[in-house]
Amino acid sequence: MGDFWEVLVRYLPDFASGFFVTCQLVAVSFLIAMGVGTLVAALRVQPLRGLKLVGGIYVEIFRNVPLLVLVIIFAAGLRRAGFDIPPFAAGTAALGLYTAAYVAESIRSGVFAVGQGQIEASLSLGFTYPQTLRRIVLPQALRTVIPPLGNLIIAMIKNSAVIGATLSLAQDLLKEARLINNKTNLTNESFFWAAVGYLLLTVTATIIVRRLETKLAIRR
Amino acid sequence: MTYLFDPDHWRWLGAGKNLEFLLGRFLVNLEIAVICMILSLIVGLFLALARLSKNRAVSVVAGTWIDVWRNLPLIFILLYGLLSLPENLAEAWVRAVPDFFPNALQSRFALAGILGLTVYNSAVLAEIMRAGIKSLERGQGEAAAALGLPYWRSMRLIILPQGLRRMVPATVSQLITLNKDTTLLFIINIQEVMKGGRIVTATSDNPFVGLNVEAPLLQVFVFIGGLFVVVNLALSRLSRRLEIRERARTGTTTEKVSGLEDQVALESDVA
Repeated sequence: MGDFWEVLVRYLPDFASGFFVTCQLVAVSFLIAMGVGTLVAALRVQPLRGLKLVGGIYVEIFRNVPLLVLVIIFAAGLRRAGFDIPPFAAGTAALGLYTAAYVAESIRSGVFAVGQGQIEASLSLGFTYPQTLRRIVLPQALRTVIPPLGNLIIAMIKNSAVIGATLSLAQDLLKEARLINNKTNLTNESFFWAAVGYLLLTVTATIIVRRLETKLAIRR
Repeated sequence: MTYLFDPDHWRWLGAGKNLEFLLGRFLVNLEIAVICMILSLIVGLFLALARLSKNRAVSVVAGTWIDVWRNLPLIFILLYGLLSLPENLAEAWVRAVPDFFPNALQSRFALAGILGLTVYNSAVLAEIMRAGIKSLERGQGEAAAALGLPYWRSMRLIILPQGLRRMVPATVSQLITLNKDTTLLFIINIQEVMKGGRIVTATSDNPFVGLNVEAPLLQVFVFIGGLFVVVNLALSRLSRRLEIRERARTGTTTEKVSGLEDQVALESDVA
């Protein structure tokens, strides 16, 4: 039992920096995922068929390809092709673009969840189209979208470990646990505290998402 | 860009035994996914039943177990399994593993891989099954009890057949995730398709050379990604069709399970 506390006290700065890197990876990837995801969702709900197809292909590809394949393509593959991308950027780009496909899907379903009749009603009441979007569609769409997005952040926290496990320069929580394990040979102890770090993030996120879900639920 | 579209790099894939080698390795991924899916379904069902148990102690223990493992990164579980697995257990596995298992599973790392995938996915599936069972109207259980059916028989005859049918689409989605996740076994040194991709594109000691070009790493992994896209697309079509049929039949939706990326996919496909 003593070893558990000893490892934590001795390596707290390492665990903390790993925890911080994991948070950074998630935060940056989430920004990328939101940006690209919104763009792809916009492609999918606008009327032009060609652009709609582009959005659909993006979603089907990035949703069905393993994240690890993307990380390797972005890190090693592009380097071999002559583009030198720093590992942190390559990792977050891979995770961000991967999650963007899911973000796009949840935004799209949120927009579609607002009935067509509401848009027609609003237009016939004399609202302009931008007004309709801003006052009728978006407030409702946002409510349906926030719980699945929270869900994706949880999945993202877990997926971020793939970056740390593949790219040696991204020293996230999992990587730090492995380094501490190499130094001390105390596998249970070092992995236990890393697990605590991950659970701290994922369980907190789960609780927040659940709260939001009940709070934002629209009774139809 | 010229690198990506250079036809020589793509032709390299077809040269010699390159393609055959990669496809063979891809088959290993599919096999591992199926094996772990079956194991996870069995373990997951027991975990779900334990969590739904009326015995509070059993339910709390099972609930904690499920919540801990499904909230940890899979690669974390795999690495921990690899590092903490006792040596003699790994050797016992190598001796005990049946011959008809794929070659990649004969290695001593395979036990950690299968255990890790099963521990994580059984926790996730348990939660999916629990959601399916809980989405049934309470009246179903009460009616069974009123008819005098004991707990286990009402579970077996009334609750499980209905509850589990509702979770079939979510389970197919989880199979897609599991299929993608088998690539993580590369990190714990199992001879699957990513490892294969690394071997084919290694810059030194590389037996796989063709057409006098340097092994095109980018193309190889784009190709591997393509293999997954094809198989998973077929699976997601299947899950979508099952979901629509199930919804038309019962007119209900199952409860959500948090923390799964494909949960989102499942919801949006039908909307």
